[in-house]
Amino acid sequence: MYAWIWRHLPGPIAIRVTLAVALAVGFVALLMFVIFPWLDPLLPFNNVDVGE
Amino acid sequence: MGTVQHLGPGAGRITGDLGDLMPSPYPRARTRQPDRVQKIVRNAGEALITLGVVVLMLVVYEVYWTDLVSAGKQRDATSALDTRWHDTGAADAQRQEHFQGLGDGDGFAKMYIPAFGADFQFTIVEGVSNADLEIGPGHYKKTAYPGQPGNFSVAGHRVGKGAPFNDIDLIQSCDAIVVETQYNWYVYRMLPTAEEKQGWAQGKGKEAKCKGVAPLGGPYKELDGQQIVLPTNGGVIAPVPPNGGKQPSKGEEASLMTLTTCHPRFSDKQRLIVHSVLTKQWAKDPKKPDERPPELEEI
Repeated sequence: MYAWIWRHLPGPIAIRVTLAVALAVGFVALLMFVIFPWLDPLLPFNNVDVGE
Repeated sequence: MGTVQHLGPGAGRITGDLGDLMPSPYPRARTRQPDRVQKIVRNAGEALITLGVVVLMLVVYEVYWTDLVSAGKQRDATSALDTRWHDTGAADAQRQEHFQGLGDGDGFAKMYIPAFGADFQFTIVEGVSNADLEIGPGHYKKTAYPGQPGNFSVAGHRVGKGAPFNDIDLIQSCDAIVVETQYNWYVYRMLPTAEEKQGWAQGKGKEAKCKGVAPLGGPYKELDGQQIVLPTNGGVIAPVPPNGGKQPSKGEEASLMTLTTCHPRFSDKQRLIVHSVLTKQWAKDPKKPDERPPELEEI
């Protein structure tokens, strides 16, 4: 998987490394700002109120 | 300058003078192409490692990131509340508390639990939606407000989001829960637990800080300081907890404060409930705005 991504990154090694880091940062940002906030209300320990 | 002519896999012809480019007399081992099984195992391994890292990041998000986000929102709510108290306080000669017209997520009071240390301070906001509770402890809208007869009820997170109610299972009977409003300080104290009720007057009830705290009678007879209930049990925030019993007559109506959070920690199977009763009220002195009640120094 990662080898496949690496093979498909264009350019010389410096640009490939930069792109790889950018991809990783983008992935973490997607998790932190989109996926986790969506998931958060579904987690059990966030229910703290009583009543229907 | 020499040239290498390829004739096919593993075969070639070298012509001319190659100098330093002379190929090694020990041919390199052929790079082995990974077969299908190896590929599958490798990809599965990478996927599992990735999943593990994602789960770790979720943990970081829940216990660290949300704390930071909530701390910022709590700070904003507190400064908005301070500004409002400052701006409206001077003009109001009556010094009457106003709780009408609060919007969702608006701060209206601050709570302190001296037993948790001097830095335990949260601005209580209106409402118990997810967005409200991200800011801080939230007030159940239909319940009473601080100091009023009835049951001032507040929900708070126990994990992440600042976790204001992380330790409320450690509050002991008679511990103070101090609520600051624009013009008053209200000192609530946790009621005796079920085990302590028996022999309260001869036992713990004698301690100095337990002044004004005793098992309540009348319609409140069933009420204990701490209880663990099912999430559907809305009776614990009724004016007469824990079962929402019959409305008491004007004279015997108590001013209670109830805290709710999830239980056990990291679960939503049950709710941990702490009930307390109003024991003292200090009106703020407009000439001494920085004066604080002595209960805040209690440990």
